Amino acid sequence: MSKVITFATNAVATLGSGVDLEYSFTNVFQGLGLSPQVAHLLWLPLPMLLVLFAAVVGVLVTVWLERKISAAAQQRIGPEYAGALGVLQPLADGLKLLVKEDVIPARADGLLFTLGPVLVLVPVILSWLIVPFGQNLLISNVGVGIFLWISLSSIQPIGLLMSGYASNNKYSLLGGLRAAAQSISYEIPLALSVLAVVMMSNSLSTVDIVQQQNGVGLLSWNVWRQPVGFLIFWICALAECERLPFDLPEAEEELVAGYQTEYAGMKFALFYLGSYINLVLSALLVSVLYLGGWGFPIPVEWLSNWLGLPLDSPLVQVITGSVGIVMTVLKAYLLVFLAILLRWTTPRVRIDQLLDLGWKFLLPISLVNLLVTAALKLTFPIAFGG
Amino acid sequence: MFGFLKKVADYTKDAADAANYLTQGLAVTFDHLRRRPITVQYPYEKLIPSERYRGRIHYEFDKCIACEVCVRVCPINLPVVDWVMNKETKKKELRNYSIDFGVCIFCGNCVEYCPTNCLSMTEEYELSSFDRHSLNFDNVALGRLPTSVTTDPSVRPLRELAYLPSGVMDPHDVPADQARAGQLPSQVLLDKSHEEDMKILPQETIPNSDSQVETNSHE
Repeated sequence: MSKVITFATNAVATLGSGVDLEYSFTNVFQGLGLSPQVAHLLWLPLPMLLVLFAAVVGVLVTVWLERKISAAAQQRIGPEYAGALGVLQPLADGLKLLVKEDVIPARADGLLFTLGPVLVLVPVILSWLIVPFGQNLLISNVGVGIFLWISLSSIQPIGLLMSGYASNNKYSLLGGLRAAAQSISYEIPLALSVLAVVMMSNSLSTVDIVQQQNGVGLLSWNVWRQPVGFLIFWICALAECERLPFDLPEAEEELVAGYQTEYAGMKFALFYLGSYINLVLSALLVSVLYLGGWGFPIPVEWLSNWLGLPLDSPLVQVITGSVGIVMTVLKAYLLVFLAILLRWTTPRVRIDQLLDLGWKFLLPISLVNLLVTAALKLTFPIAFGG
Repeated sequence: MFGFLKKVADYTKDAADAANYLTQGLAVTFDHLRRRPITVQYPYEKLIPSERYRGRIHYEFDKCIACEVCVRVCPINLPVVDWVMNKETKKKELRNYSIDFGVCIFCGNCVEYCPTNCLSMTEEYELSSFDRHSLNFDNVALGRLPTSVTTDPSVRPLRELAYLPSGVMDPHDVPADQARAGQLPSQVLLDKSHEEDMKILPQETIPNSDSQVETNSHE
């Protein structure tokens, strides 16, 4: 039985499915005389730690970019002395937050106050489970991948509301309420625009969604077939991340810092980390859902054909894998750059404008988008994944 | 029916307009990324204060006649003039003079009204100290010459925007050894003497220039 399975995985690996690190890793340990189960157990924590590390490094890079680009947009220089060009500034910030006193306000609810930031951060990190950097370069190819992300992101407002309520501060409470209202109203158009993509790719799995887009490279990316969906998704993602046009939950002119008002030290750092991991995650998911994920603008298969290299040779596999990672990250960071530019371009919307935009504009348009996608799928099944 | 269509059309137009404005705004922000920073890296770079900058007040003890005009014109009677009447010479004898720069608002009234010009404004503005009482300058401290940004070798002097040539917005273009805007007193005197020369000269110069014009017209 196990022989059949190894044969099958072997076949999959050689069928141009990209680098399969798990297969090679477990193979090495099975060669050392361990049972497949033990080898699998040894393998399990590795991608998780790697992704956690990648997420944190991604946040450090994003924070640095945010500070540098913000400075450039305001004709300033930005961080300069911590490392070359100030690249170590986010680390210094993190270190400072780490050694700060951990204050729990006297009349606050200690348990909820502590649990809030954790509940905000954990689902965001869990969502990295489904972000693919290549054919096999993701922690777990969950069948309901993108749905898992949508459901995990609905846990976040509970954490925000919890910390807003537990702080026993009117600004925190208002911020928490706003965050909950915002998340709930933007979740629906977000889910509907994702649904249109899912309908075209006939799968909820992120790997399938990317593969479906990489038929003819750049031209087959979802953004051409779902331009409206792309815009709706990006607007909603910004709202979910509480990025600037929609940062009312922490609007400093009105609410001091919203639900973060009473937080300091590492608990504040968790919120900070959570918001930036969420931004990077949203950018990654936009690139996965609409911009062809790990796909190069010209399919790598075509390139290797033209160069006369066999797809399953180790060199090509490694190059394909690296190109995939670079493309995913590049696309995501282009979107992060756009988010930072938007931050210094757009004024903050009012709460009524925010809810207007969510319920009266994005929701109907995303519904129409879904219906039009369904109709197109029925009429042109070749182009719309029939 | 048509009312509904008009509503839809207006709605679409609004959305398109919003998108248009957003793109314009993004273009502005993006354009700013290409511009050079205008910030001054303060402890290493300093702006050259303008000619009539009202900084720390300089005081010359020997010129002072203890008339107390500075005290009377000061909005809060800040200068402390410590003098005694010398009965024998029947003259005021000045013992001490002090101004507390923790309280001074640098309005310059005392400088304006001082009959002997013993008070003057300097370009010095770095007055921070660990103790507010050390801001109370006595006549010795008031008599010290101000530190100049242009002569400090550890500082890169930058010209203020108002003193830059028109069209240049970047003070970083100015070479480090360039003199401050405006003229030094010696230069002012030099110019004055030139003007006096010009007053004497006209009888000689005007015929010359006339003859030049004539020669030009003859050609």
